[in-house]
Amino acid sequence: MLKKPDVKVVLLGDMNVGKTSLLHRYVEKKFHETVSTVGGAFYLKQWGPHSISIWDTAGREQFHGLGSMYCRGAAAVIFVYDVSNFQSLVELEDRFLALTDTASTDCIFAIVGNKVDLTDECASVNETEGEKPCHATTGSTAKVRKQVHVEDAVSLYKRVLKYKMLDEKEAPPAEKMCFETSAKSGFSVDFLFESVFDTVVPLLKKKANGPSETVDLTDSNKAMKGTRSGCCK
Amino acid sequence: MSVQAFRLVCAVDRELLPQVDKAVARIECLECCGHNLYLGTSDGFIHHLLLEERSGAMPGHSTFSASRQLQRQLGTKKPVNELRAASALNRLLVLCDGVISLVHMLNLEPVPSGARIKGAVTFTLNENPLSGDPFCVEVCIVSVKRRTIQLFHVYEDRVQILKEVSTPEQPFAVAIDGYFLCLALTTQYIILNYNTGASQDLFPYSSEEKRPIVKRIGRQEFLLAGPGGLGMFATVAGISQRAPVRWSENVIGATVCFPYVVALDAEFITVHSMLDQQKKQTLPFKDGHILQDFEGRVIVATGNGVYILTPLPLEKQIQDLLSNHRVEEALVLAKGARRNIPKEKFQVMYRRILQQAGFIHFAQLRFPEAKELFRSGRLDVRELISLYPFLLPTSATFTRVHPPLHEYADLNHLTQGDQEKMNQCKRFLMSYLNEIRRTEVANGCKEDIDTALLKLYAEASHENLLDLLGSENSCIMADSATWLEKYKKYFALGLLYHYHGQDAAALQLWAKIVNGELEDNTRPDLFEYIVDFLTFCTNQELVWKYADWILQKNEQVGIHIFTKRPLEEQQKNSFRPNDVISCLHRYPKALLQYLEYVVLDQGLQKEKYHTHLAVLYLEEVLRLKAVVKGNCMELAEVQKKFQHLLQQSDFYRVHLLLDKIKDSDLLLEQAILYGKSEDHEKALNILVWQLKDFSTAEHYCLWNSENKDPIYKQRLFHQLLSVYLHSDRPDESLLTAAVDLLNHHAAEFNAAQVLRQVPDTWSAQLLSQFLVGAMRESVHRKRMSQLTLGLAKAENIIYQYEKLKATESSIVLSDKNLCQVCRDPFLEPAFVRYPNGSLVHTHCAASRHTNPSSTHHLSSPSRRT
Repeated sequence: MLKKPDVKVVLLGDMNVGKTSLLHRYVEKKFHETVSTVGGAFYLKQWGPHSISIWDTAGREQFHGLGSMYCRGAAAVIFVYDVSNFQSLVELEDRFLALTDTASTDCIFAIVGNKVDLTDECASVNETEGEKPCHATTGSTAKVRKQVHVEDAVSLYKRVLKYKMLDEKEAPPAEKMCFETSAKSGFSVDFLFESVFDTVVPLLKKKANGPSETVDLTDSNKAMKGTRSGCCK
Repeated sequence: MSVQAFRLVCAVDRELLPQVDKAVARIECLECCGHNLYLGTSDGFIHHLLLEERSGAMPGHSTFSASRQLQRQLGTKKPVNELRAASALNRLLVLCDGVISLVHMLNLEPVPSGARIKGAVTFTLNENPLSGDPFCVEVCIVSVKRRTIQLFHVYEDRVQILKEVSTPEQPFAVAIDGYFLCLALTTQYIILNYNTGASQDLFPYSSEEKRPIVKRIGRQEFLLAGPGGLGMFATVAGISQRAPVRWSENVIGATVCFPYVVALDAEFITVHSMLDQQKKQTLPFKDGHILQDFEGRVIVATGNGVYILTPLPLEKQIQDLLSNHRVEEALVLAKGARRNIPKEKFQVMYRRILQQAGFIHFAQLRFPEAKELFRSGRLDVRELISLYPFLLPTSATFTRVHPPLHEYADLNHLTQGDQEKMNQCKRFLMSYLNEIRRTEVANGCKEDIDTALLKLYAEASHENLLDLLGSENSCIMADSATWLEKYKKYFALGLLYHYHGQDAAALQLWAKIVNGELEDNTRPDLFEYIVDFLTFCTNQELVWKYADWILQKNEQVGIHIFTKRPLEEQQKNSFRPNDVISCLHRYPKALLQYLEYVVLDQGLQKEKYHTHLAVLYLEEVLRLKAVVKGNCMELAEVQKKFQHLLQQSDFYRVHLLLDKIKDSDLLLEQAILYGKSEDHEKALNILVWQLKDFSTAEHYCLWNSENKDPIYKQRLFHQLLSVYLHSDRPDESLLTAAVDLLNHHAAEFNAAQVLRQVPDTWSAQLLSQFLVGAMRESVHRKRMSQLTLGLAKAENIIYQYEKLKATESSIVLSDKNLCQVCRDPFLEPAFVRYPNGSLVHTHCAASRHTNPSSTHHLSSPSRRT
């Protein structure tokens, strides 16, 4: 049987922003048109010694109630919006943020603008990562105006931290946790997931190595032995 | 596409069912416990039947028959709502008209004590109780009291309330595991720990719209009906660990029969896989209203019929999937089944499935996938090789496993004769075999693999063929040889012979290729290869056998078989030069090269070879001289070699050569030969008079005096000077040469003698350089002698001083003095005294030359006195 997952990552966002497509692109390196997700789905990803479960949730209103259960105990939440649809960003704060109440207390957040391939401007960040967003769709789709810019995502990120009452200085910086991707071309998708995993895993270790709740007697024993041998001399 | 995961089998014949002639009675609930089947009807009856399973011809095709036992009506005519057996107590719990009564499992009599639970809407048993009392079951009821759950301990004939828990909303359904209650409330599902009171919201739903389902499916996990027809999984921690399955909107009942979720709605029974959430099977089933599992057996019922869903064996399901080429699903199912099958059995089964899946991919030419599956399934490679006609050695005893892993007879069948596909398959096998032949997968069938690989390479004229044969391999000789002959890979065949130690056969074959009797263009430089091969061949007989043939083909290259032999063999001198030379008498060029090798490279100091070589050089020079006019590179080269040999070697017979050379115009050579016979005057005369080559003459003096004492050298120079000066015919150029000689080699002459020799007419100016040089040399020598003298005197004085010091005091010799060597007393006055003062006998000192002070034994005070 598969190893029990030890890290949980949840994708949240309004319907039709491309959560399932992002996950497909990351896991299968393919893009295919997907139908609206029913309920939820999840994938297991082996990341070094860790087994990470990535939950893809349904964005439809109908399944909204399931969100907080999916978020329970999550170590990372990835908020996804559609760069060509400003409302999708607004929804994140209005509807989805509250679902993360059940997530683990040191949960980290990432904010992802998907579908950059549709917009008229190319994201200037990280052209080297994946294919260039422009190439993938030239000629195929008419370009749409980009409605959400990275700055909007960054300010949302700050509001998320405020909502979670997290210290901005201690949480991962906004520049590192706000992404723009294209599930269709693959632009920045691997970068997104890998960055999230790389941020989550060290936190996990810290938790594991944190002050243990039991008293370690072996240490103090050793110390005593030390003093005793000291006086015998 | 679907899988057949279950068969629907009628459990109870219609006539055995409760009499439904009154039309109002219908099956309301049922319970199955071992062979006991209990039905509760709408008219208040409990029917007890015995269920018997008869296994069918094939696994998964069992049938059932039932026989009627007792039936009993409870007091009222109200419908029986729920039945639960507590087999440990031998009791049946019956919910009827809001009361749970206890009846005996066999005679259906109520317990005498009349113990019962009142006010229950619905109830459930805790299958994972934490009380630990085996004679007690934990019963959880939804009470008629608003928003109340009650827990009871039920014993054989009494009931005890354990806990009453109030809920935030009215509960409709409950499932229990340990302390955890999973509740369907009015607007949401929650998990409630009845021990601590802690509650955890799961997700909202509307009880008004549809009937909730709460079903414990295993330790700490529940299956719930979610919004949008979802089957949701939730653990007691409130976490979902599996993705939901998608049912229809109006599911009535659901349960899990691993790895499937079975759900019932008004029309169908649907089967979803928990592994990939896909719907796998749909069974039409009308009017069903009960779906429950009892100890792993899933029973469905309509108002008047009872059916059992019998699962088909997983292996069968997997085979069905595989035969439909649904590899991924089959693998997921197989992997998911791991926990239900004993480990040993599973591994065998899973490996086989992987192999089968590999062949499916292979048949679709998806080689990377196939390779991965073959690798992880640890396929016996011969299964794959046997698909390719003629690749397995004829001697192989391999037979394919039964039942077969695939449906193909051979590659022709698989590719339908498509040549291009066939080649792709062959290329795949080549790379696959090459990859695994060194791994542990190949253990036990190395011969088969290597032979197959050889055949593939030979057929495709692949360059790796030679690498395979040139390195360690397990190709089977007979089979490979036939195949290589078939594809005219004679060179490779030779390599095969060689690998199996049959060098003679290999050489015979290769010689035939070189002679043009066989055609194989693998190596255009095959002749050089053979020469090389023989050079390193340890079998002398073979070398002798092919020496003639080789030398006939090419003397200059061929001679390498003698001259380039490996060092370790050279040291053993396995080829005697005499034998080789007698073999080479017909091949002058080869002979010359061989003698050069023996004389110059090996440095063999035998007169015979040196003379022979010199004579050969001479003959060659004379031959070339006769043939060519003017300058000739070849001639110059041979002449140079000849001169070099004459100068360097001291072993050839000078007079023999002199006799041969006397009448020729090889003056320099004559001079060298005269020099060798110490006839320097003659030599110098030739150089000076006949050749008029003064620099060579000077040079002659230098190299002839090499490694000889200075007097010899001086004598040579004086001789040269005499030749210059005392010529019969005074010649200006000779005089100049004499002056130059003196000026350049001032140090080599005895100045006094020279001054007596030179003509008086010469000015001091002319000889100034010589004079200065000679003076310097003379002064230098004088000073050097003085220095040596002084040092010697000093040394002498030191020794004198030491002697004086050693003898100035007298030594008393008494009985107490013992010899430091033999420890005996001195009997004579003569003794030896070492510088450190120890005294020994004269004979002891003579027999022992080492200084006694250097050994610890002698210098330490003796303890033997």
